[in-house]
Amino acid sequence: MKTGILLTLILLLGFNIQAQDCSLSIRGKIIHLENNEPIEAAYVWVIEAEEGAVSDQNGNFTIKNLCRGDYTVTIQYLGHKTITDTIKLESTTFSKTYRLEEEAVGLQGVEVHGHRDAVQTTTAVSALYGENLMESRGENLGESLKRISGVSTFSTGNSISKPVIHGMHSNRIMIMNNGIRLEGQQWGAEHAPEIDPFLADEITVVKGAETVRYGPEAMGGVILVNPAPLPTKKMSKTSLNLIGATNGRMGNVNLVHVGGSDKIKGLGYRIQGSAKRSGNVKSPEYFQQNTGLSELNLSSSLGYSSSKLGVEAYYSLFHTELGILNDSHTGNLSDLENIIENGRPFADGEFSYDILNPKQRVTHQLAKLKSHYHISESWKLNFQYGFQLNHRQEFDKRRGDLNDKASLDLELYTNTIDLYVNHTHKNELSGTWGVNFIQQANSNVPGTGVTPLIPNYDMVNTGFYAMEKYSKGPLEVEAGIRYDFRNVNTARYINEELKTADIAYQNFSAFLGGLYHISPDLTFNSNLGSAWRPPNVNELFSEGLHHGAAAVEIGNPDLKSEKSLKWINELQYDGKRTHLEFTAYLNPISDYIYLNPTGEIYTSLRGTFNIYEYLQANALFYGFDFAGSYEFTDKISGYLKGSIVQAKNTDVDNYFPFIPSNRMDWGISYDFSKVTDSRTNKITISNVLVAKQNREPDFDIAPPPSAYALFNISYNKQVNIGDDKLNLGLQVQNLLNTNYKDYMNRFRYFSYDMGRNVLIKINYEF
Amino acid sequence: MNTTNKLYLIALAVVSFAFSSCTSEDPVSENDGELITDVTLTFQEIDANGNAVGASFDFTASDSEGIEIGSTPTVETVTLTKGKRYEMSIDVYNSVASEDITEEIRAEGDEHQFYFLGSAFTSSPFLSYEYNDEGAEIIGLKGIVTVQQSPGFTTADFQLLLRHALDKNYPGAENPNFQDYAKAGGETDLDITFPVVVQ
Repeated sequence: MKTGILLTLILLLGFNIQAQDCSLSIRGKIIHLENNEPIEAAYVWVIEAEEGAVSDQNGNFTIKNLCRGDYTVTIQYLGHKTITDTIKLESTTFSKTYRLEEEAVGLQGVEVHGHRDAVQTTTAVSALYGENLMESRGENLGESLKRISGVSTFSTGNSISKPVIHGMHSNRIMIMNNGIRLEGQQWGAEHAPEIDPFLADEITVVKGAETVRYGPEAMGGVILVNPAPLPTKKMSKTSLNLIGATNGRMGNVNLVHVGGSDKIKGLGYRIQGSAKRSGNVKSPEYFQQNTGLSELNLSSSLGYSSSKLGVEAYYSLFHTELGILNDSHTGNLSDLENIIENGRPFADGEFSYDILNPKQRVTHQLAKLKSHYHISESWKLNFQYGFQLNHRQEFDKRRGDLNDKASLDLELYTNTIDLYVNHTHKNELSGTWGVNFIQQANSNVPGTGVTPLIPNYDMVNTGFYAMEKYSKGPLEVEAGIRYDFRNVNTARYINEELKTADIAYQNFSAFLGGLYHISPDLTFNSNLGSAWRPPNVNELFSEGLHHGAAAVEIGNPDLKSEKSLKWINELQYDGKRTHLEFTAYLNPISDYIYLNPTGEIYTSLRGTFNIYEYLQANALFYGFDFAGSYEFTDKISGYLKGSIVQAKNTDVDNYFPFIPSNRMDWGISYDFSKVTDSRTNKITISNVLVAKQNREPDFDIAPPPSAYALFNISYNKQVNIGDDKLNLGLQVQNLLNTNYKDYMNRFRYFSYDMGRNVLIKINYEF
Repeated sequence: MNTTNKLYLIALAVVSFAFSSCTSEDPVSENDGELITDVTLTFQEIDANGNAVGASFDFTASDSEGIEIGSTPTVETVTLTKGKRYEMSIDVYNSVASEDITEEIRAEGDEHQFYFLGSAFTSSPFLSYEYNDEGAEIIGLKGIVTVQQSPGFTTADFQLLLRHALDKNYPGAENPNFQDYAKAGGETDLDITFPVVVQ
């Protein structure tokens, strides 16, 4: 009897304790000491609680329902030194980042997991990987990234699309090709990013201002296109993608081979190549003439890493030749007005793979050498050198022999050097200090028979920066500062008269960010960052005719640098069945540069043209993104994404042109596979809703197109053949063959968008 | 020398090569090849048998600056006599590159065609035009202009339009006064409006 009471008491007491104090958790992130990349499938064990967890693909783990007390945590990952940590769990949830060091002893037969690139930032970050990335294969970078809420595209027809983050694109965002800032001719609206999405196994979008980390121009956000890390152990893996599409009769093939050396430990390589060919795109009622595309891309890397030293060499080649919709090449303003009134090309066209003038031919080569050295356990020295050569040729419809000559022929050389040190200390302070050097030379290749739109120029930019991050418990705080100076020298002939300019810019930028784990499921982060962007050479000096817009654009050499402040907040909930992300931002910009119609008309023997000039005004961008998913049952799940962005000219209280309208995307999936089966076997029906842009500028050559709704279907199935994996995909885009125009497509003046497209995707991994 | 040292040397060589090749070229002055600076209409009076009568005379539209904001083309007034027939030839010239573009248009006759619009040819026309090119191809480099005997007006607009890359088989495209020229596709290379006076 007594024993019974005692037992009950103890039990009650026990329950009481659990009810009051046993809802604590240990959260953490496990990353590689060498490169800060997350480690997937590391094993975490809490000895006292006899509870364990395995880190996910982002290196995160959570052990819930722990009581107050002292715990010993061990973290193990094959080929790495085990970490043992003592934790005092008090009233709040404990959170810590663990850095695993590679062990010198080689282990044979270990499979290297495709771990994800971590951006060590407190800003809002979204990534495209795994199934979603697989679904986007065959699309260009801009189109692929539309899958991320808050990201849309600014496009020219169906083959040229530039990613837009929170209403900003071109030189206001930055694209990193495997750690090197992509330096092409990004200023042009019809200049797509010179990068093959196939080289990446993850594409990350940083939505905050990241000038301190990545240099000037990273105002609206940064896109990181990253290949998987090279293997450091013996292995061999090949992946083949075959994609076919009915619209444009597109064929796309990609092959990647990754290998790790048996003889030299730590030596690994990857080679990748892709080719794409498509013909005239079909709008629901007609073919868009001369919209074919031909693309050939290569990338390769070779790396070596030991416990102290890491070296990686990387090369990528992007080559594209693409046709520009025939009807978009207007001779003068009345031609333009005629086609706008007609709303579509005059002729029905027919299918052809031929790529005729007007067309673009672009080759972008990037070579990089990266090395790091562990000076001590907590200090690491990094060096990175990148060389880029961008060759852009644009061919116009001209007369006679001139048709074979490019009317714009630019060669852009860029050298970038990064030298920085990382330190990671046991006292939870980590940081990066460095210097970044960019040198650039742009030359017009003579013989075009056209006065160059932009001058030849040399640019040198030097930046010094420092960032520190402090993490304690559920809180991470980060701050950084940077100073840049830039010098630009330009020269060109206009009417046989040499015109030169020498311009200098300098700027400070800084950021302050924080991340707080409110509960194990709920995270809040906030980041306030300043950013700047010196005016582009085209904004300063362009003077010429733009055939697509029947416009003469006049640069202004007195433009000042744009300065912006972006405050971005994100709330993230990661429950068992529910995932929610809510982002809100406020982004005032002073001296925002924009192209303004003067209202004047230029008359020539060719006819008349609108005149546009570059002006500066104070701007306010703000908006919201949301993304959520919910698993109704084990079989049925749904998602919902959307974004709203407002961009106002606060000087005159009107709206800027080419800002995305409100959009939303939702879908429902049914999973055919058994709960225990990890192989994909899923059908998804989705619906994209795009509103009419009611926040229109005072002047546009055509009113914004109406709202539209598109339906898409995709079915994906994974089959295992022995140890090999086969992924099969069938997608139908614009299922109902809807006639629509998108406000953010510059060719809405000339044509409806793409009609129904059926794609078959095969991916074989062996 | 071990492999690491060699690698560093190669890296150094690559870096220094890249830097030395990395200043912009000196700019070169370009002659705008596509530019049209002078368009001349030459009129030669002809009799009923097509024989020349008297001396020819011409009218020019010119824009020497090319693309330079603020300047407008100088367009002469075309003066013709009532009831007469003229053979009109068109000469197109680029004075910046000293190039005769007439020949290029002739060589690419299948892609080019002149249209004659404006109140002088449409609505209540007092001029009529027929193509009279030397080859089989209709271009409009040469044609016959007939002035009405007693027109209702004496002044009007003569719009000269040169279309490039049009579909010449489009129904109606062979009409020199085809107002729906845009429907035949292509783009405008020249669009000049000459004032016309008939005496």
